[in-house]
Amino acid sequence: MNKIIAVIRREYTERVRTRAFILSTILLPVLIVFTSVVPALMMSSGDRTSRVALVDGTTNGVGEQALAALTTQKLSDKPGALPRFQLTRFDAVGRVAAVQDSLVAQTGFDKGSKADSWDGVIVVTDDAITSGKLNYYGNNVGSFESMGRIQSVFSRVFATSRLSKSGVDPALVMGAMTPADLQTTKVTDGKATGQSGQTSFFIAYIMGFILYLGIILYGQQTMTSVIEEKTSRIMEVLASSLTPFQMLLGKVVGVGLVGLTQMTIWGGSVFLVGSNRDKLASVFHVSADAIQSFPIPTMAPDLLAVFLVYFALGFLLYGALYAAIGSMVNTVQEAQQTAVFVTVVIMIGFFSVFALIKDPAGSLGVTMSFIPFFAPFVMPVRWSLASVPTSQLVLSLALMVIGLLACVWLAGRIYRTGILMYGKKPTFKELFHWIRVG
Amino acid sequence: MSSPAVRVERVTKRFSGHTAVRDLSIEVPAGGIFGLLGPNGAGKSTTIRMIMDIIEPDEGTVSLFGSTERSRNLSAKVGYLPEERGLYKKMKVLDQLIFLGETKGISRSESRKRSNAWLEKLGIADWAVKKVEDLSKGMQQKVQFAGALLHDPELVILDEPFSGLDPVNSQVMKDVVVDIAKSGRTVLFSTHIMEQAERMCDRIVIIARGEKVVDGTVAQVKADFGGSFVALGFSHDKEKAERILADTTLIEKVDDYGATAEVKMATGADPEALLRALVQEGVGLKRFEVVEPSLQSIFIAKVGPDAAVARRSGGDGSSEEGILPDVILGAAEGAIHVVGGHS
Repeated sequence: MNKIIAVIRREYTERVRTRAFILSTILLPVLIVFTSVVPALMMSSGDRTSRVALVDGTTNGVGEQALAALTTQKLSDKPGALPRFQLTRFDAVGRVAAVQDSLVAQTGFDKGSKADSWDGVIVVTDDAITSGKLNYYGNNVGSFESMGRIQSVFSRVFATSRLSKSGVDPALVMGAMTPADLQTTKVTDGKATGQSGQTSFFIAYIMGFILYLGIILYGQQTMTSVIEEKTSRIMEVLASSLTPFQMLLGKVVGVGLVGLTQMTIWGGSVFLVGSNRDKLASVFHVSADAIQSFPIPTMAPDLLAVFLVYFALGFLLYGALYAAIGSMVNTVQEAQQTAVFVTVVIMIGFFSVFALIKDPAGSLGVTMSFIPFFAPFVMPVRWSLASVPTSQLVLSLALMVIGLLACVWLAGRIYRTGILMYGKKPTFKELFHWIRVG
Repeated sequence: MSSPAVRVERVTKRFSGHTAVRDLSIEVPAGGIFGLLGPNGAGKSTTIRMIMDIIEPDEGTVSLFGSTERSRNLSAKVGYLPEERGLYKKMKVLDQLIFLGETKGISRSESRKRSNAWLEKLGIADWAVKKVEDLSKGMQQKVQFAGALLHDPELVILDEPFSGLDPVNSQVMKDVVVDIAKSGRTVLFSTHIMEQAERMCDRIVIIARGEKVVDGTVAQVKADFGGSFVALGFSHDKEKAERILADTTLIEKVDDYGATAEVKMATGADPEALLRALVQEGVGLKRFEVVEPSLQSIFIAKVGPDAAVARRSGGDGSSEEGILPDVILGAAEGAIHVVGGHS
């Protein structure tokens, strides 16, 4: 037992100290902050009050109505939020082009470099009401939020104007056209979990991805680690004092813990970024609002437990198989070719997640939950999307453990012959002989 | 101390059609230095791997300390330096030694203490926090040597321990090996450098082509070989000795090293007659000594053509790459090729 711990510790500390590990561990949180802040920074022009000139060439008061509607737009839904636009209307009936040109000439300067400059100029004419086409000139045309608001305000104003022109009561139509808003809530065992359908979907997808990536990346690390021990010829020293089982288990668990460490750091930083959005926003001088668009996934404790158990079991299973492959070959290239068999199985498991998201309780999902190779991908996803009967969970876990033991046994058999073999890759016949004779 | 440290009984090992070790029996008594000698490709490493339980013999049995336990379960009492040296290249020297100690079952703190002591003893303490890959080959070998001895094993098995070492480091290692033997423990080492074996070993076994050729204490082996030998050292006019050395009534065999030579006298010939002849001829002699046969000559006489091939291809002994051609073929033909399984 102490020997296994020594192997695990060596595998873990040596791996955690590598530059690759430190870089990748730090880079991802940085990337998360970056991806959450940068779009916010980019959109930040839309998140302060914009000075907008409204060139009004309409004769039926559509300009005034739009002005009134735009003035009520706020930067966020919070109470006390700043108005989105600061508008000035220019009556330009008959001389639209001239007014427009003189205002556009004062638009798009950096704040402070020219006083009284405009962020944008909206041009609306009678023609626009019928054609629906109006123009906006500004330095903030990339602000989807502000452009969307302007567009929706004018759509409504135009519609009202067109309807009243045809003698229809606009209020009646607007009321009739109120869109349906589907509110989804996941129910487990007759109790609402408080998760909306969308978060469930999001979590299911993220989990599938993490499982896939984690198992592929770290599984292959156990493989390269075995090859390294073979090529550096330390294997013979180890083989004289450790049993193949100690070496195999120590290696897989050690690498698995490294993966878990990295994921914890990553997951933790996602959580920290998510829960400290406001602080982050003030550090980068962007509005807290813009940064809200970055989603933080939250996981119910039971889901987290299911996820971790299946991740651990799945990793041990695939890690052992990858280690066995590492022991059979001599170079990383050879290993990649052989590992394809395992990788394909993992991919099937991963892609089945997409099918499951549509129908989590279907027979495909249930069947795959009972196949140890796929259960690690399938079960957490099903758990997050639908209520899984406890009996299914128990059966799936039991089969998973049996499958795991079988794989470790098989891998151990291959491993103990493979680690001291140099030269040609074994054929299937030889491999079978290794497993049988050991 | 009745039970031998190592008992190899009628062991045979085959690798895909080629027999590396055939019906080999060796008994290494507890205490002292035991030499396993043989040309490259004779089966030394295969024998040692079977003793270490790294590979299993096809036939026969191996037992350590008279126990029925498998060697790996006794690994706490055995230190092993494999022929193919290997360490974790990216690992720091001290960490590496601590880990190797732990795999032998000693505690982490104890392992740390002993590792530091060994680094001090071998004069590489300054390198403790350096990565193994930054060390010279000789220093790496010292680290590995320390790793094999860290847990004070009762039995130390060293496969070609002195290959690739400079004279200074070779001396350091030799002292360590002698110290182990002095403390009553057992050293089994393999080599194909006869001078070394001759100076250090109490008992030797010479194997060739997987079979035992010579077995016994060094003195006994020499006595059994028989004959009378003369060691010569030349100072000048060596060419004048050519004719005398070619005289088959006087000399049976010459082993010419250039400045020195070892000759085997013909049956019934008198060494003094040889001395007279050489002096008369005016050959400058630095040394003329009636000696026991050297292990080298016994080795060459017993192993014969094998040694010649081995010497032509191996030379420095730092690697066993240039092994006997037939053995290489035998191993390469088969699908499975165990590392060093040819030696």
